Amino acid sequence: MRSNTKIIAPAMPFLAPVHILILSIIVFPSLYVVWLSLNSSTFGQSPTFVGFDNYFRTLTDPAFLRALGNTVLIVVFAVHLELAIGLGIALLFASGLPLRRFLLVAVLAPYAVSEVIAVAMWRFLFDPDVGPITIALASLGLPVLDWSFEPSHALVMIGLLTIWLHLPFTFIILYAARLAIPKELYEAARIDGASPYAAFRRVTMPLLGPAIVVALLFRYIFAFRIFSEVWLMTQGGPARSTEVVAVYLYQEAFRFNAFGTAAATAWIMVVASLILATGYVFLLRRQVVGNAH
Amino acid sequence: MRIDKFAIGLGKAVAVSAILIWSLFPIAFIIMSAFKPGQDIFAVPPKFVFTPTWQHYAKLWADWGMFFDGLFNSAFITIGATILAITTSTSAGYAYSRYSSRFLNASVLFLIIVRLIPPIVVTLPLFPIINAIGLNDTHIVLIALYATFFVSLGTVLMRTFIDQIPRELDEAAQIDGATRLTTLRTIIVPLAAPGILAVAVFVVVFAWNEFLFAFIFTATNAKTAPLVISEMIGSIDGVDWGVLFAASTIQLIPVLLFVVLMNRYLVAGLTAGATKG
Repeated sequence: MRSNTKIIAPAMPFLAPVHILILSIIVFPSLYVVWLSLNSSTFGQSPTFVGFDNYFRTLTDPAFLRALGNTVLIVVFAVHLELAIGLGIALLFASGLPLRRFLLVAVLAPYAVSEVIAVAMWRFLFDPDVGPITIALASLGLPVLDWSFEPSHALVMIGLLTIWLHLPFTFIILYAARLAIPKELYEAARIDGASPYAAFRRVTMPLLGPAIVVALLFRYIFAFRIFSEVWLMTQGGPARSTEVVAVYLYQEAFRFNAFGTAAATAWIMVVASLILATGYVFLLRRQVVGNAH
Repeated sequence: MRIDKFAIGLGKAVAVSAILIWSLFPIAFIIMSAFKPGQDIFAVPPKFVFTPTWQHYAKLWADWGMFFDGLFNSAFITIGATILAITTSTSAGYAYSRYSSRFLNASVLFLIIVRLIPPIVVTLPLFPIINAIGLNDTHIVLIALYATFFVSLGTVLMRTFIDQIPRELDEAAQIDGATRLTTLRTIIVPLAAPGILAVAVFVVVFAWNEFLFAFIFTATNAKTAPLVISEMIGSIDGVDWGVLFAASTIQLIPVLLFVVLMNRYLVAGLTAGATKG
């Protein structure tokens, strides 16, 4: 142990800045949130220990359950649709396209757009009175998205917006993985008389498997904390009907000053992310072991 | 056979057009609308030929002076956060690449786990603390927050990039009497430049566009451009779309050009970031 400490001692000054930042801004505050979540407190009142009361109150609050339901809905709808589109585009790119670099940059472009501007463009395009998409849909006799009144329509809008913003990420992960598959495997499949569909089933899908799982888990974890898109689009309204978990947390903490339930919500978010990530780390490990062979 | 090929080509052309419309139409629409005179913004079908005008920019300048303060704040905070994030992650990535022990390996796992904590979680305890020490509404708070939420990814990325630089180079420098810090500065940093740029792309895009932390921790003095734009969206007397599009265009163009120019590093960073932790 002592020799070990001696070996890594010179590394400490190089590591210190990163770890000081992370400990002071992320880790200690998060641990303090655990303490907050076990106490009842608000402004100007000394906290009292209440055990798991805040968790119980949060998990039985209809507003929280609604927010959780909306979040799960957005995650399930948006992430899987995004994966399907991203996979489709990745395979299209891999099949050979002219101007590939230009098209790649075009697909990446939404990565540069802030949530605020994305919401501004979405709100205009789908504006109930003047939005070009609303007018186009109406003139074709198609149903329009009445997102400012109808909660389910608002959630669809938010889901589409999330896909638009994050498709570049999913696409790049899948495209890079697809490019890593050796050409020889497809040649061998063709020589063996496999149809393009069989090659896709037997070569592409199994080898893309790990990348698909990585993309999915990353997107589950990041979609679960969605805040800005929802806040800027609907502020969780009308009547808290489009809130997601992060918006619920914000409202509890900064509007109702209910730090106990806000802290409990925060830890429910952390634990949910950790559970999702355990699967991810497990898969990474297996991948590392797989690569070693 | 020839018809098959033609059908496949046509199918691809349709798919590529759909992808281009999906990705680029909303962006092009905003930028074009920012130059459209008054009622042309609302024309259906959208007008692609119009007489460009600067009227919305003039109005933005006259009515929303604080937007330009916001741009200055955003630029200052973005530069600060980027410098802080790349210096700290490069030095930590170097240490993780050149030293190894069970403790260090465990602390890499710790860095990965830290990425899982949603940013909104830390706002809860940090808000009263930052108020208490009088740092509310200052640039330094956002610089520290933005950098910190990227140093774990930054460190892991830098380790991956520095791992590819032969150790013999550091050893040669050290035989010549260079300290580790000098080695890092003169040998590692120039060779790890692509990694540093990949980390910089992440931090720049995040810090320039971020909304949640700016919304919670700033009021007037350090208010960033996205926050001012969000106020335009939520304006009670109805949204002035022309002015909103003008502001959006000014905020968007620099970061869009940056991503286009740096697309190679962005792709390298995204791929390495997802597969290496």
